[in-house]
Amino acid sequence: MADILTEGTEELLLNMGPQHPSMHGVFRMIVHLQGETVTGIEPKIGYLHRGLEKLAESRTYAQFIPYTDRLDYLASPHNNMAYCQAVEKLMGIEVPERAEYLRIILAELARIASHQVFIASAALDMAGWTAWGYPFRDRERILDLFEMVSGSRLTVNCMRIGGISHEPLPEFWPALESFLADMPEKLEEYYNIYLGNEIAQARMKKIGILTKEKAEELSITGPALRASGVQYDVRKAEPYGIYDRFDFDVPVLYGCDTFDRNLIRFMEINESLKIIQQAVRDIPEGPIMAKVPKVIKPPVGEVYHRVENPKGELGFYIVSNGTTKPERVKIRSGTFVNLQCLNEIAVGTYVQDLIASFASLDAVLGEVDK
Amino acid sequence: MGNKEVLRKNVEELASRVNGTVEEMLDYLVLTVKAPYITETLTAAKNFKETPCDFLHDIAGVDKMDHFEVVYHLTSLRGPQKLRVKAIVDRENPVIDSVTRIWPGANFMEREAYDMFGIQFKGHPNLKRIYLWDDFEGFPLRKDYVTEPPEVRNIMRVRRADE
Repeated sequence: MADILTEGTEELLLNMGPQHPSMHGVFRMIVHLQGETVTGIEPKIGYLHRGLEKLAESRTYAQFIPYTDRLDYLASPHNNMAYCQAVEKLMGIEVPERAEYLRIILAELARIASHQVFIASAALDMAGWTAWGYPFRDRERILDLFEMVSGSRLTVNCMRIGGISHEPLPEFWPALESFLADMPEKLEEYYNIYLGNEIAQARMKKIGILTKEKAEELSITGPALRASGVQYDVRKAEPYGIYDRFDFDVPVLYGCDTFDRNLIRFMEINESLKIIQQAVRDIPEGPIMAKVPKVIKPPVGEVYHRVENPKGELGFYIVSNGTTKPERVKIRSGTFVNLQCLNEIAVGTYVQDLIASFASLDAVLGEVDK
Repeated sequence: MGNKEVLRKNVEELASRVNGTVEEMLDYLVLTVKAPYITETLTAAKNFKETPCDFLHDIAGVDKMDHFEVVYHLTSLRGPQKLRVKAIVDRENPVIDSVTRIWPGANFMEREAYDMFGIQFKGHPNLKRIYLWDDFEGFPLRKDYVTEPPEVRNIMRVRRADE
């Protein structure tokens, strides 16, 4: 017996994924196990790699917008916005006020929808079947709202270089108001059924520790960073669009564990609701498209633009050579970089904790694999 | 002195030490250096006085036909400073020092640049392909990469010979 404790047992290699319900897509990891304790993880990605960066080089600037929808497909308005704003920055296009407000309403709705999917799937990974249903029920209403703007529900694709493609239908506004009014109550419901649960708390508190120092040197961004005690949000630090006009807080938690990475999403939904309420109050009338040349031909140069995606920072680095097609588009996706901390947070814990910790990073493989 | 001026002074001082050039592109300060100086440059940028650029945001490879560029985007969690550092890498022999010792978070980013451009990062703990499978031939984001699969490529070559 003493030998087993000091020397360990035979190492077991466990292959998880790519086809596994808890892998949130097609992520695969090879887990090294001693008994039930994780001693190492090798993440394997690329099963959903479509070569978007290569595709971008043979498309015009406007033609690439629909591809960005397929990055983080749970929050497609964010990706559209990041790309369009990058090109606008490069060309020096001013976007009309109304379009800016509409963009922010759509982006924050997408943040709420993305966090709802996160809550649902994180609960499901810990066998919380009931908690799965509630957020998805309310997410339907956000998808309906998207449908009233662009006609599609998941890959919204309503942003264009210089503005937004469609004016929302008249029924959009009352539907949005009633959604905003209902949401705080629903949020409490999610909390009570998921994080308020004693079993869930016991499984997530003090598990999957990612310290502040480690998070910084591993380039972690987004909610995972803020749950490790760093109050940093691009919307505040380097406001893009018109985010500097809104009054909202950047939630921060100091627990560094899986529980805090879950809780911070609830707090962010609250802040998003605040932003949308202000945007609905202040939105002006006016045009929704700027005057943009028919052929989009940015000057020679390069631009880097980053936005706060629901899952991390999304950055577009575009190099233009003065033609209608970009020379290089580099996509910096938040979860791709965030996945590096898997070894940090899961080694030394049990296999079932690994599932909960991985869920707390909220990886979407469309964004990881590009 | 505002943050931007201090950063500019710091960057210019550093540029004279590492034979680099400084220019401004839109809202970014851009420091271009030769590949051998990259470790020195980034270590110094991380420890700038008053404006430390201590958060590695992104690493991108760019194919400029006669050379490669490795582009580092640095920011900070404690201030508005941001800096773009470009390293010029030889195209025939693309080797550059890995920065995983300065930022362990460079691991995946450098693997991606290796996967797409074949840039060798010296000192990287695990330099393997990350998106593509291990026996994939060629480096797809290089400008001279032929996108057709080999069998199609061969047919095209035969046709071209006939015509």
